[in-house]
Amino acid sequence: MKRMSQKRWLIPLLGLISCCVTLHAQDVVFIANKDVRISQIRAADLHAIFTGEKTRFADGTHAVPAILKGGPIHEVFLKNYCDETPSEFRAQWQKAVFTGQGSMPKAFDNEATLIEYVAATPGAIGYVSRFLPDDRIKEIRALR
Amino acid sequence: MEYRFLHPSVLLLLLSFVRSGKATAQDLSGIEIHGFATQGLLFSTHNNYLTTQSSSGSLQWTHGAISVIDSLSDNLRVGIQLHMYQLGQLGGPNVQVDWASGDYKFNDEIGIRAGKVKTVFALFNDSQDVDAVFLWSLLPECSYPADDETFFLSHLGGDVYGQFSLGAHRGKLAYDGYVGESYLDLNGGYVKQITDLGFPLTTAPGGKTYGGDLRWKGLHGLTLGTSMTVQVLDGSGPLGTVHVPPFQDSGEYAQFARGRWYFGFERDLVPFTAIIKTSQSTASLPFDTHSWFGMGSYRVSKRLQVGSYYGHYVDKALPTSLPENYSKELVFSTRYDFNTYFYAKLEDHFMHGYGLGFYTSTNPNSLQPNSNILAAKIGFSF
Repeated sequence: MKRMSQKRWLIPLLGLISCCVTLHAQDVVFIANKDVRISQIRAADLHAIFTGEKTRFADGTHAVPAILKGGPIHEVFLKNYCDETPSEFRAQWQKAVFTGQGSMPKAFDNEATLIEYVAATPGAIGYVSRFLPDDRIKEIRALR
Repeated sequence: MEYRFLHPSVLLLLLSFVRSGKATAQDLSGIEIHGFATQGLLFSTHNNYLTTQSSSGSLQWTHGAISVIDSLSDNLRVGIQLHMYQLGQLGGPNVQVDWASGDYKFNDEIGIRAGKVKTVFALFNDSQDVDAVFLWSLLPECSYPADDETFFLSHLGGDVYGQFSLGAHRGKLAYDGYVGESYLDLNGGYVKQITDLGFPLTTAPGGKTYGGDLRWKGLHGLTLGTSMTVQVLDGSGPLGTVHVPPFQDSGEYAQFARGRWYFGFERDLVPFTAIIKTSQSTASLPFDTHSWFGMGSYRVSKRLQVGSYYGHYVDKALPTSLPENYSKELVFSTRYDFNTYFYAKLEDHFMHGYGLGFYTSTNPNSLQPNSNILAAKIGFSF
Protein backbone atom coordinates (compact mmCIF):
# COMPACT_ATOMS: atom_id res chain seq x y z
CA MET A 1 0.00 0.00 0.00
CA LYS A 2 2.85 2.31 0.92
CA ARG A 3 4.58 1.44 -2.37
CA MET A 4 1.42 2.39 -4.27
CA SER A 5 1.38 5.73 -2.46
CA GLN A 6 5.02 6.34 -3.39
CA LYS A 7 4.21 5.59 -7.05
CA ARG A 8 1.46 8.19 -6.94
CA TRP A 9 4.06 10.81 -6.01
CA LEU A 10 6.55 9.47 -8.50
CA ILE A 11 4.34 10.05 -11.55
CA PRO A 12 3.82 13.81 -11.01
CA LEU A 13 7.49 14.13 -10.07
CA LEU A 14 8.55 12.52 -13.34
CA GLY A 15 6.07 14.80 -15.11
CA LEU A 16 7.68 17.83 -13.47
CA ILE A 17 11.19 16.70 -14.45
CA SER A 18 10.00 16.06 -18.00
CA CYS A 19 8.44 19.53 -18.03
CA CYS A 20 11.72 21.09 -16.87
CA VAL A 21 13.62 19.24 -19.60
CA THR A 22 11.09 20.48 -22.16
CA LEU A 23 11.41 24.03 -20.90
CA HIS A 24 15.17 23.76 -21.19
CA ALA A 25 14.67 22.73 -24.84
CA GLN A 26 12.77 25.97 -25.42
CA ASP A 27 16.03 27.72 -26.24
CA VAL A 28 19.12 27.00 -28.25
CA VAL A 29 22.83 27.35 -27.61
CA PHE A 30 24.92 29.38 -30.04
CA ILE A 31 28.29 28.08 -31.10
CA ALA A 32 30.97 29.72 -33.20
CA ASN A 33 34.30 28.89 -34.71
CA LYS A 34 37.03 29.20 -32.07
CA ASP A 35 38.62 32.09 -34.00
CA VAL A 36 35.54 34.28 -33.58
CA ARG A 37 36.62 36.90 -31.06
CA ILE A 38 33.31 37.75 -29.43
CA SER A 39 31.91 35.72 -26.56
CA GLN A 40 28.46 37.27 -26.41
CA ILE A 41 26.10 38.77 -28.95
CA ARG A 42 22.91 40.79 -28.87
CA ALA A 43 19.72 39.02 -29.97
CA ALA A 44 19.12 41.79 -32.51
CA ASP A 45 22.54 41.11 -34.07
CA LEU A 46 21.79 37.38 -34.19
CA HIS A 47 18.57 38.15 -36.03
CA ALA A 48 20.40 40.45 -38.44
CA ILE A 49 23.16 37.91 -39.13
CA PHE A 50 20.84 34.95 -39.65
CA THR A 51 18.53 36.93 -41.94
CA GLY A 52 21.39 38.31 -44.02
CA GLU A 53 21.03 41.94 -42.99
CA LYS A 54 24.43 41.94 -41.32
CA THR A 55 27.50 40.14 -42.53
CA ARG A 56 29.83 41.11 -39.69
CA PHE A 57 30.08 40.63 -35.94
CA ALA A 58 30.33 43.65 -33.66
CA ASP A 59 34.14 43.40 -33.77
CA GLY A 60 34.07 43.78 -37.57
CA THR A 61 34.99 40.20 -38.50
CA HIS A 62 33.02 38.38 -41.19
CA ALA A 63 30.10 36.29 -39.94
CA VAL A 64 29.04 33.08 -41.66
CA PRO A 65 25.65 31.82 -40.44
CA ALA A 66 24.96 28.08 -40.42
CA ILE A 67 21.46 26.71 -39.90
CA LEU A 68 19.63 23.43 -39.50
CA LYS A 69 17.34 22.40 -42.36
CA GLY A 70 14.43 21.76 -40.03
CA GLY A 71 13.32 20.11 -36.80
CA PRO A 72 12.38 21.38 -33.34
CA ILE A 73 15.72 23.09 -32.60
CA HIS A 74 15.48 25.05 -35.85
CA GLU A 75 11.92 26.06 -35.01
CA VAL A 76 12.86 27.12 -31.48
CA PHE A 77 15.68 29.24 -32.90
CA LEU A 78 13.37 30.89 -35.43
CA LYS A 79 10.67 31.52 -32.86
CA ASN A 80 13.02 32.96 -30.22
CA TYR A 81 15.40 34.99 -32.37
CA CYS A 82 13.64 35.73 -35.68
CA ASP A 83 9.94 35.66 -34.73
CA GLU A 84 9.31 33.69 -37.90
CA THR A 85 8.00 30.31 -38.98
CA PRO A 86 10.25 28.07 -41.10
CA SER A 87 8.23 29.06 -44.20
CA GLU A 88 8.65 32.77 -43.53
CA PHE A 89 12.36 32.39 -42.84
CA ARG A 90 12.82 30.43 -46.06
CA ALA A 91 10.74 32.91 -48.06
CA GLN A 92 12.90 35.77 -46.82
CA TRP A 93 16.07 34.02 -47.98
CA GLN A 94 14.45 32.98 -51.24
CA LYS A 95 13.64 36.60 -51.93
CA ALA A 96 17.31 37.49 -51.50
CA VAL A 97 18.47 34.57 -53.66
CA PHE A 98 16.00 34.94 -56.51
CA THR A 99 16.54 38.70 -56.75
CA GLY A 100 20.33 38.34 -56.83
CA GLN A 101 20.78 40.07 -53.47
CA GLY A 102 22.09 37.22 -51.38
CA SER A 103 22.96 33.59 -51.04
CA MET A 104 21.40 31.07 -48.69
CA PRO A 105 23.19 30.23 -45.44
CA LYS A 106 24.60 26.72 -45.27
CA ALA A 107 21.92 24.37 -43.98
CA PHE A 108 22.53 21.01 -42.33
CA ASP A 109 20.50 17.88 -41.70
CA ASN A 110 21.68 17.47 -38.10
CA GLU A 111 23.65 19.14 -35.33
CA ALA A 112 26.72 16.95 -35.78
CA THR A 113 27.33 18.14 -39.36
CA LEU A 114 26.56 21.73 -38.39
CA ILE A 115 29.15 21.54 -35.60
CA GLU A 116 31.72 20.12 -38.03
CA TYR A 117 31.07 23.00 -40.44
CA VAL A 118 31.30 25.64 -37.71
CA ALA A 119 34.52 24.05 -36.45
CA ALA A 120 36.08 24.14 -39.91
CA THR A 121 34.86 27.54 -41.11
CA PRO A 122 36.36 30.84 -39.90
CA GLY A 123 33.62 33.23 -38.78
CA ALA A 124 30.94 30.53 -38.68
CA ILE A 125 28.13 30.75 -36.15
CA GLY A 126 25.31 28.28 -35.61
CA TYR A 127 22.95 26.91 -32.99
CA VAL A 128 22.55 23.55 -31.31
CA SER A 129 20.44 22.04 -28.55
CA ARG A 130 23.39 21.87 -26.10
CA PHE A 131 27.05 22.71 -26.04
CA LEU A 132 29.47 19.80 -26.03
CA PRO A 133 33.02 20.86 -25.20
CA ASP A 134 35.11 20.89 -28.36
CA ASP A 135 38.45 22.70 -28.81
CA ARG A 136 37.46 23.83 -32.29
CA ILE A 137 34.32 25.72 -31.29
CA LYS A 138 33.18 28.07 -28.54
CA GLU A 139 29.87 28.92 -26.97
CA ILE A 140 28.47 32.37 -27.66
CA ARG A 141 26.10 33.85 -25.12
CA ALA A 142 23.00 35.47 -26.55
CA LEU A 143 22.01 38.72 -24.82
CA ARG A 144 18.27 39.33 -24.79
CA MET B 1 -10.37 25.01 -71.41
CA GLU B 2 -6.85 25.33 -72.76
CA TYR B 3 -4.79 22.25 -72.06
CA ARG B 4 -1.40 23.75 -72.65
CA PHE B 5 -0.08 22.63 -69.31
CA LEU B 6 3.48 22.90 -68.05
CA HIS B 7 5.98 24.10 -70.57
CA PRO B 8 8.27 21.20 -71.59
CA SER B 9 11.39 22.86 -70.16
CA VAL B 10 9.73 23.39 -66.78
CA LEU B 11 8.38 19.86 -66.85
CA LEU B 12 11.88 18.58 -67.56
CA LEU B 13 13.21 20.57 -64.61
CA LEU B 14 10.58 19.12 -62.28
CA LEU B 15 11.12 15.59 -63.55
CA SER B 16 14.83 15.82 -62.98
CA PHE B 17 14.18 16.47 -59.29
CA VAL B 18 11.55 13.77 -59.03
CA ARG B 19 14.11 11.40 -60.56
CA SER B 20 16.76 12.45 -58.10
CA GLY B 21 14.31 11.52 -55.34
CA LYS B 22 15.46 14.39 -53.18
CA ALA B 23 14.33 17.96 -53.74
CA THR B 24 16.98 20.14 -52.21
CA ALA B 25 19.19 23.02 -53.30
CA GLN B 26 22.26 21.65 -54.96
CA ASP B 27 25.63 22.69 -53.61
CA LEU B 28 28.67 21.94 -55.76
CA SER B 29 31.74 23.05 -53.78
CA GLY B 30 30.38 26.45 -52.84
CA ILE B 31 28.21 26.92 -55.93
CA GLU B 32 24.54 27.21 -55.03
CA ILE B 33 21.82 26.20 -57.43
CA HIS B 34 18.23 27.19 -56.71
CA GLY B 35 15.07 27.26 -58.75
CA PHE B 36 11.32 27.42 -58.82
CA ALA B 37 8.46 26.47 -61.10
CA THR B 38 4.78 27.33 -60.92
CA GLN B 39 1.68 26.36 -62.83
CA GLY B 40 -1.46 28.44 -62.59
CA LEU B 41 -5.11 28.30 -63.53
CA LEU B 42 -7.18 31.37 -64.37
CA PHE B 43 -10.95 31.24 -64.57
CA SER B 44 -13.03 34.38 -65.06
CA THR B 45 -16.58 35.48 -65.56
CA HIS B 46 -17.38 37.77 -68.51
CA ASN B 47 -13.97 38.98 -69.70
CA ASN B 48 -10.80 37.14 -70.65
CA TYR B 49 -7.95 38.21 -68.38
CA LEU B 50 -4.23 38.72 -69.01
CA THR B 51 -4.41 37.60 -72.69
CA THR B 52 -5.61 34.11 -71.67
CA GLN B 53 -8.95 32.53 -72.57
CA SER B 54 -9.75 32.64 -68.86
CA SER B 55 -13.54 32.74 -69.32
CA SER B 56 -13.23 29.12 -70.45
CA GLY B 57 -10.56 28.37 -67.82
CA SER B 58 -6.94 28.68 -68.83
CA LEU B 59 -3.79 26.85 -67.78
CA GLN B 60 -1.57 29.07 -69.91
CA TRP B 61 0.22 30.44 -66.87
CA THR B 62 3.63 28.96 -66.21
CA HIS B 63 6.78 30.32 -64.63
CA GLY B 64 10.16 28.74 -64.10
CA ALA B 65 13.59 29.96 -63.08
CA ILE B 66 16.93 28.56 -62.13
CA SER B 67 19.76 30.49 -60.47
CA VAL B 68 23.42 29.71 -59.98
CA ILE B 69 25.34 31.66 -57.34
CA ASP B 70 28.96 31.47 -56.27
CA SER B 71 30.55 33.37 -53.41
CA LEU B 72 34.09 33.91 -54.62
CA SER B 73 35.16 35.55 -51.37
CA ASP B 74 33.65 36.95 -48.18
CA ASN B 75 32.85 40.15 -50.09
CA LEU B 76 32.34 39.06 -53.69
CA ARG B 77 29.42 37.10 -55.07
CA VAL B 78 28.53 36.38 -58.70
CA GLY B 79 25.42 34.79 -60.09
CA ILE B 80 22.93 34.39 -62.89
CA GLN B 81 19.26 33.54 -63.03
CA LEU B 82 17.50 32.21 -66.11
CA HIS B 83 13.76 32.68 -66.31
CA MET B 84 10.93 31.70 -68.63
CA TYR B 85 7.26 32.46 -68.45
CA GLN B 86 4.10 31.95 -70.42
CA LEU B 87 0.99 33.93 -69.60
CA GLY B 88 -1.62 33.61 -72.30
CA GLN B 89 -0.11 35.19 -75.39
CA LEU B 90 2.71 36.80 -73.40
CA GLY B 91 6.16 35.45 -72.76
CA GLY B 92 6.96 32.22 -74.56
CA PRO B 93 9.46 29.42 -74.71
CA ASN B 94 12.50 31.70 -74.81
CA VAL B 95 14.64 31.56 -71.71
CA GLN B 96 15.60 35.06 -70.57
CA VAL B 97 18.35 36.26 -68.29
CA ASP B 98 16.41 37.51 -65.29
CA TRP B 99 19.52 38.87 -63.62
CA ALA B 100 23.24 38.28 -63.96
CA SER B 101 25.49 40.27 -61.72
CA GLY B 102 28.60 40.61 -59.66
CA ASP B 103 28.13 41.95 -56.15
CA TYR B 104 30.95 43.37 -54.04
CA LYS B 105 30.09 44.32 -50.47
CA PHE B 106 32.75 46.48 -48.84
CA ASN B 107 30.86 46.26 -45.56
CA ASP B 108 27.24 46.38 -44.41
CA GLU B 109 27.11 50.13 -45.10
CA ILE B 110 28.16 50.05 -48.75
CA GLY B 111 28.20 47.58 -51.61
CA ILE B 112 28.09 47.68 -55.40
CA ARG B 113 26.26 45.43 -57.81
CA ALA B 114 26.74 45.48 -61.59
CA GLY B 115 25.43 43.64 -64.63
CA LYS B 116 21.78 42.92 -65.23
CA VAL B 117 20.39 43.85 -61.84
CA LYS B 118 16.89 43.55 -60.41
CA THR B 119 15.49 47.05 -59.88
CA VAL B 120 14.69 47.86 -56.27
CA PHE B 121 11.48 49.88 -56.24
CA ALA B 122 8.87 50.11 -53.49
CA LEU B 123 7.61 46.96 -51.78
CA PHE B 124 7.82 44.18 -54.37
CA ASN B 125 9.25 45.35 -57.69
CA ASP B 126 12.44 43.29 -57.62
CA SER B 127 10.71 40.16 -56.32
CA GLN B 128 7.41 40.38 -58.22
CA ASP B 129 8.26 37.40 -60.44
CA VAL B 130 9.33 35.21 -57.50
CA ASP B 131 6.05 33.52 -56.75
CA ALA B 132 7.39 31.32 -53.95
CA VAL B 133 7.84 34.23 -51.54
CA PHE B 134 4.27 35.53 -51.72
CA LEU B 135 0.92 34.56 -50.31
CA TRP B 136 -0.69 36.12 -53.38
CA SER B 137 -1.13 34.35 -56.72
CA LEU B 138 -1.29 37.74 -58.41
CA LEU B 139 0.17 40.86 -56.85
CA PRO B 140 -1.99 44.00 -57.05
CA GLU B 141 -2.37 44.63 -60.78
CA CYS B 142 -2.45 48.39 -60.17
CA SER B 143 1.22 48.46 -59.10
CA TYR B 144 2.65 45.10 -60.19
CA PRO B 145 0.84 44.08 -63.38
CA ALA B 146 1.40 40.38 -64.09
CA ASP B 147 1.21 41.05 -67.83
CA ASP B 148 3.92 43.73 -67.66
CA GLU B 149 6.13 42.41 -64.90
CA THR B 150 9.25 42.40 -67.04
CA PHE B 151 9.15 46.19 -67.36
CA PHE B 152 11.14 47.96 -64.63
CA LEU B 153 11.99 44.51 -63.29
CA SER B 154 15.68 44.87 -63.99
CA HIS B 155 18.21 47.17 -65.58
CA LEU B 156 21.55 46.81 -67.29
CA GLY B 157 23.86 48.91 -65.18
CA GLY B 158 25.00 49.26 -61.61
CA ASP B 159 23.70 49.80 -58.10
CA VAL B 160 25.20 51.22 -54.95
CA TYR B 161 23.46 49.92 -51.86
CA GLY B 162 23.85 49.57 -48.14
CA GLN B 163 22.35 49.95 -44.72
CA PHE B 164 23.15 52.16 -41.74
CA SER B 165 22.20 51.63 -38.14
CA LEU B 166 20.62 54.75 -36.70
CA GLY B 167 21.54 53.78 -33.18
CA ALA B 168 19.88 51.80 -30.45
CA HIS B 169 16.07 51.75 -30.77
CA ARG B 170 16.15 53.97 -33.88
CA GLY B 171 16.17 51.26 -36.52
CA LYS B 172 18.14 51.17 -39.77
CA LEU B 173 18.23 53.16 -42.96
CA ALA B 174 18.67 51.15 -46.17
CA TYR B 175 19.38 52.70 -49.54
CA ASP B 176 19.83 51.62 -53.16
CA GLY B 177 20.72 53.92 -56.06
CA TYR B 178 21.16 52.81 -59.66
CA VAL B 179 21.83 53.94 -63.21
CA GLY B 180 21.63 51.99 -66.45
CA GLU B 181 19.32 51.01 -69.26
CA SER B 182 15.98 49.24 -69.18
CA TYR B 183 13.93 47.70 -71.98
CA LEU B 184 10.41 46.46 -72.39
CA ASP B 185 9.89 42.82 -73.29
CA LEU B 186 8.85 42.46 -76.95
CA ASN B 187 6.62 39.58 -75.79
CA GLY B 188 5.23 41.54 -72.83
CA GLY B 189 1.96 43.31 -72.17
CA TYR B 190 2.87 46.91 -73.02
CA VAL B 191 4.10 45.98 -76.48
CA LYS B 192 0.99 43.86 -77.01
CA GLN B 193 -1.23 46.78 -76.02
CA ILE B 194 0.52 49.02 -78.55
CA THR B 195 0.28 46.25 -81.17
CA ASP B 196 -3.44 45.84 -80.43
CA LEU B 197 -3.81 49.55 -81.28
CA GLY B 198 -2.49 48.78 -84.77
CA PHE B 199 1.11 49.85 -84.16
CA PRO B 200 3.35 46.77 -84.10
CA LEU B 201 6.87 47.12 -82.71
CA THR B 202 9.94 45.23 -83.78
CA THR B 203 12.48 47.05 -81.60
CA ALA B 204 11.79 46.79 -77.89
CA PRO B 205 11.15 50.24 -76.42
CA GLY B 206 13.75 51.14 -73.85
CA GLY B 207 16.46 53.54 -72.87
CA LYS B 208 18.39 55.11 -70.05
CA THR B 209 17.12 54.89 -66.52
CA TYR B 210 18.20 55.95 -63.05
CA GLY B 211 16.60 55.98 -59.66
CA GLY B 212 16.76 54.95 -56.06
CA ASP B 213 15.04 53.63 -53.00
CA LEU B 214 15.31 54.76 -49.39
CA ARG B 215 13.69 52.83 -46.57
CA TRP B 216 13.64 53.06 -42.81
CA LYS B 217 13.39 49.75 -41.00
CA GLY B 218 12.07 50.19 -37.50
CA LEU B 219 12.70 47.84 -34.61
CA HIS B 220 9.23 46.39 -34.33
CA GLY B 221 8.55 45.25 -37.88
CA LEU B 222 7.62 48.62 -39.35
CA THR B 223 9.19 49.74 -42.63
CA LEU B 224 8.60 53.08 -44.33
CA GLY B 225 10.07 53.92 -47.72
CA THR B 226 10.10 55.94 -50.87
CA SER B 227 11.27 55.04 -54.38
CA MET B 228 11.80 56.98 -57.56
CA THR B 229 12.86 56.02 -61.07
CA VAL B 230 13.34 58.05 -64.24
CA GLN B 231 13.07 56.31 -67.59
CA VAL B 232 13.28 57.15 -71.30
CA LEU B 233 11.66 54.90 -73.90
CA ASP B 234 12.36 54.64 -77.62
CA GLY B 235 11.09 51.91 -79.88
CA SER B 236 10.23 51.37 -83.50
CA GLY B 237 8.16 49.25 -85.84
CA PRO B 238 7.28 49.03 -89.52
CA LEU B 239 4.81 51.93 -89.24
CA GLY B 240 7.02 54.37 -87.31
CA THR B 241 8.49 55.11 -83.91
CA VAL B 242 7.33 55.52 -80.35
CA HIS B 243 9.12 57.90 -78.01
CA VAL B 244 8.46 58.59 -74.36
CA PRO B 245 10.50 61.56 -73.03
CA PRO B 246 12.05 61.16 -69.56
CA PHE B 247 9.31 60.45 -67.07
CA GLN B 248 9.34 59.80 -63.36
CA ASP B 249 7.71 56.90 -61.55
CA SER B 250 7.48 57.52 -57.82
CA GLY B 251 6.22 55.34 -55.03
CA GLU B 252 5.74 55.59 -51.29
CA TYR B 253 5.14 52.57 -49.14
CA ALA B 254 4.80 51.15 -45.65
CA GLN B 255 4.76 47.66 -44.29
CA PHE B 256 4.35 46.12 -40.89
CA ALA B 257 5.28 42.52 -40.19
CA ARG B 258 5.05 41.12 -36.72
CA GLY B 259 4.30 37.63 -35.51
CA ARG B 260 1.54 36.15 -37.60
CA TRP B 261 0.46 39.48 -39.12
CA TYR B 262 1.55 41.37 -42.21
CA PHE B 263 0.22 44.68 -43.50
CA GLY B 264 1.39 46.61 -46.55
CA PHE B 265 0.47 49.82 -48.31
CA GLU B 266 1.86 51.40 -51.45
CA ARG B 267 1.05 54.36 -53.68
CA ASP B 268 2.52 54.91 -57.16
CA LEU B 269 2.31 57.85 -59.54
CA VAL B 270 3.38 57.59 -63.20
CA PRO B 271 2.71 60.60 -65.45
CA PHE B 272 4.11 60.33 -69.00
CA THR B 273 3.38 61.12 -72.63
CA ALA B 274 3.95 58.69 -75.50
CA ILE B 275 4.70 60.30 -78.87
CA ILE B 276 3.89 58.05 -81.81
CA LYS B 277 5.28 59.08 -85.19
CA THR B 278 4.38 57.57 -88.52
CA SER B 279 5.30 58.76 -92.01
CA GLN B 280 1.96 60.61 -92.14
CA SER B 281 1.31 61.90 -88.64
CA THR B 282 2.45 62.47 -85.09
CA ALA B 283 0.22 61.72 -82.12
CA SER B 284 0.73 62.46 -78.43
CA LEU B 285 -0.87 60.09 -75.92
CA PRO B 286 -0.80 61.49 -72.37
CA PHE B 287 -1.07 59.21 -69.32
CA ASP B 288 -1.31 60.12 -65.66
CA THR B 289 -1.69 56.92 -63.72
CA HIS B 290 -2.39 56.89 -60.01
CA SER B 291 -2.48 53.61 -58.17
CA TRP B 292 -2.50 52.39 -54.59
CA PHE B 293 -3.16 49.23 -52.68
CA GLY B 294 -3.53 48.09 -49.11
CA MET B 295 -3.07 44.50 -48.01
CA GLY B 296 -3.13 42.38 -44.89
CA SER B 297 -2.46 38.75 -44.12
CA TYR B 298 -2.52 36.37 -41.18
CA ARG B 299 -0.64 33.13 -40.71
CA VAL B 300 -3.17 30.67 -39.31
CA SER B 301 -0.65 27.88 -38.85
CA LYS B 302 2.80 26.89 -40.02
CA ARG B 303 1.31 25.70 -43.30
CA LEU B 304 -1.71 27.94 -43.83
CA GLN B 305 -1.81 31.67 -44.56
CA VAL B 306 -4.78 33.83 -45.51
CA GLY B 307 -5.04 37.45 -46.61
CA SER B 308 -6.78 40.12 -48.59
CA TYR B 309 -5.94 43.26 -50.53
CA TYR B 310 -7.66 46.10 -52.30
CA GLY B 311 -6.02 47.70 -55.34
CA HIS B 312 -7.06 50.89 -57.10
CA TYR B 313 -5.85 52.31 -60.43
CA VAL B 314 -7.03 55.32 -62.40
CA ASP B 315 -5.65 57.19 -65.41
CA LYS B 316 -6.35 60.82 -64.63
CA ALA B 317 -5.31 62.00 -68.10
CA LEU B 318 -8.52 60.44 -69.44
CA PRO B 319 -12.17 60.52 -68.34
CA THR B 320 -11.98 58.74 -64.98
CA SER B 321 -15.61 57.61 -64.97
CA LEU B 322 -15.12 55.28 -67.92
CA PRO B 323 -14.33 51.65 -67.00
CA GLU B 324 -11.47 51.49 -69.53
CA ASN B 325 -9.62 54.14 -67.51
CA TYR B 326 -9.82 52.61 -64.06
CA SER B 327 -9.50 49.30 -62.28
CA LYS B 328 -10.53 48.40 -58.76
CA GLU B 329 -10.06 44.96 -57.31
CA LEU B 330 -10.85 43.27 -54.02
CA VAL B 331 -8.92 40.07 -53.50
CA PHE B 332 -9.08 37.19 -51.03
CA SER B 333 -6.20 34.78 -50.98
CA THR B 334 -5.00 31.65 -49.25
CA ARG B 335 -1.79 29.65 -49.41
CA TYR B 336 -1.00 26.18 -48.14
CA ASP B 337 2.55 24.85 -47.84
CA PHE B 338 2.55 21.07 -48.17
CA ASN B 339 6.18 20.91 -47.14
CA THR B 340 9.32 23.00 -47.51
CA TYR B 341 9.25 22.74 -51.28
CA PHE B 342 5.64 22.46 -52.53
CA TYR B 343 2.77 24.86 -52.04
CA ALA B 344 -0.66 25.69 -53.44
CA LYS B 345 -2.55 28.98 -53.66
CA LEU B 346 -6.16 29.91 -54.24
CA GLU B 347 -7.37 33.44 -54.87
CA ASP B 348 -10.58 35.27 -55.72
CA HIS B 349 -10.57 38.63 -57.50
CA PHE B 350 -13.62 40.84 -57.62
CA MET B 351 -12.85 43.46 -60.27
CA HIS B 352 -14.55 46.60 -61.40
CA GLY B 353 -13.34 48.44 -64.48
CA TYR B 354 -11.07 47.05 -67.20
CA GLY B 355 -8.27 49.60 -67.31
CA LEU B 356 -5.66 46.95 -66.52
CA GLY B 357 -5.13 43.37 -67.61
CA PHE B 358 -7.85 43.14 -70.25
CA TYR B 359 -6.97 43.15 -73.95
CA THR B 360 -9.21 43.89 -76.92
CA SER B 361 -7.63 41.09 -78.96
CA THR B 362 -8.77 38.45 -76.45
CA ASN B 363 -12.08 40.20 -75.79
CA PRO B 364 -13.32 40.96 -79.32
CA ASN B 365 -17.00 41.19 -78.29
CA SER B 366 -16.55 44.25 -76.06
CA LEU B 367 -15.57 44.23 -72.39
CA GLN B 368 -17.93 44.07 -69.42
CA PRO B 369 -17.26 46.49 -66.52
CA ASN B 370 -17.25 43.76 -63.86
CA SER B 371 -15.28 40.53 -63.72
CA ASN B 372 -14.73 37.89 -61.08
CA ILE B 373 -11.55 35.91 -61.41
CA LEU B 374 -10.41 32.72 -59.73
CA ALA B 375 -6.65 32.20 -59.69
CA ALA B 376 -5.12 28.94 -58.50
CA LYS B 377 -1.49 27.96 -58.45
CA ILE B 378 0.79 25.13 -57.50
CA GLY B 379 4.45 25.87 -57.02
CA PHE B 380 7.73 24.23 -56.27
CA SER B 381 11.00 25.80 -55.17
CA PHE B 382 14.33 24.53 -53.98
